Amino acid sequence: MTRKPPFSNIPDTWINGQFLYINLNGGIMGLLRGSASFSRYFVNGIPPENYLDEYTNNITRYCFRGFDESSDAERSIGWVSVMNIFDAAFEQRQFHMHPYLSLSFRVDTRSVPGNALKQHCLEAEHKIKIMERLDYIPKERRKELKDFTLNQLIKRAIPRTNTYDMIWNVETSMLIFGSTANRICDEFTELFYKTFDLKLFPVFPYSIAAMNLEREGIDTGALDSIRTFNFTGDTDGRP
Amino acid sequence: MDVLEKIEKTEAIGKDFLIWLWFRSETRNGILDIGDDLHVDILIDGKMTLENDETRDTVTYSGNNPLMKEARLALLENKKITKSAIKLIINEDDEYTFRLDSTWMNFRLFKTPRVIQDFKDDPEGLFYEKAGLIEKAITIMDSVFMYFIRLRISPEWERDELPALITWIKSGKNI
Repeated sequence: MTRKPPFSNIPDTWINGQFLYINLNGGIMGLLRGSASFSRYFVNGIPPENYLDEYTNNITRYCFRGFDESSDAERSIGWVSVMNIFDAAFEQRQFHMHPYLSLSFRVDTRSVPGNALKQHCLEAEHKIKIMERLDYIPKERRKELKDFTLNQLIKRAIPRTNTYDMIWNVETSMLIFGSTANRICDEFTELFYKTFDLKLFPVFPYSIAAMNLEREGIDTGALDSIRTFNFTGDTDGRP
Repeated sequence: MDVLEKIEKTEAIGKDFLIWLWFRSETRNGILDIGDDLHVDILIDGKMTLENDETRDTVTYSGNNPLMKEARLALLENKKITKSAIKLIINEDDEYTFRLDSTWMNFRLFKTPRVIQDFKDDPEGLFYEKAGLIEKAITIMDSVFMYFIRLRISPEWERDELPALITWIKSGKNI
């Protein structure tokens, strides 16, 4: 039986015999604790009538599964509970808190430090040179050796965990997502589409203005004619 | 036109909004009347990033100087605000702090007022309380933004607001 390391006083970081590095700032319930950064989306479309059944199946389908033992992937993503990043079961539909659907987008990454990879490659090349009595290893074979070494080392790397909370108000179609980083937001919108079959439309100043003016029956054409002003007193593009 | 193209073409809206917000917060003690019986105070308070539209050079001010003199002078050089630290106080009680950016209107380093619910005792209660506070701040900032938009597309902008704004910017060299 694998023992939990004595230095870990965070109970849930030792899972299945593996120590996970949890980035608390990342964070566990990041939107709901302390300070957080978030971007906003408008959910384009409405959920189907029986959405809870359908969404439970799809969320389970795309839940976080971590790295398979044989996998050499550097990244693993999926849904976990917003209340507990180690809960990816969703039998109790704990993602549903009317009128909200709330999930955490979990991203585990692992990598091999460049220096360590270089060292292990040199060691492997050295062994081959001795075993096969070679003075020189061709470039192609060195590349194969590097790929093989990376593949072996990545499986031993400690994953780094980050979670980003999503709060989707189904009644207003507004969604808050706990990251402003482009790559994370892109991965999130892709997984959201796969899971819910609904596209996310990013919120930005023009879109907020246009949506509100349209609701009020005001022509949005006036927005397109807005040109910035320079502070010498003239408005650029003023007729 | 795709989203990124639209954002680029309309980026002036967000930048002008942040300058106007600073102008209003300075000249009217930060008090904004956005209806719904809400008393909203907005203070531009802390770090601010400005950008030159032509060269795209950015400069960040720490906001330690209470008058933000350097940032005011940067406005005179036609630099635009791209990120600004904001303190939002609702009904003289609930205080939120965050940094708002002009491109996406994303909220960074967002802090809500102290919550009553405790995660250990009632995680769902905490969720509802936090979600409600976040939505409240967003709704109010959107209302303030729409107040600006309605003003910006009205004749009142050219007639009253813009001249007052330019006078305020020019007064920056005297502080």
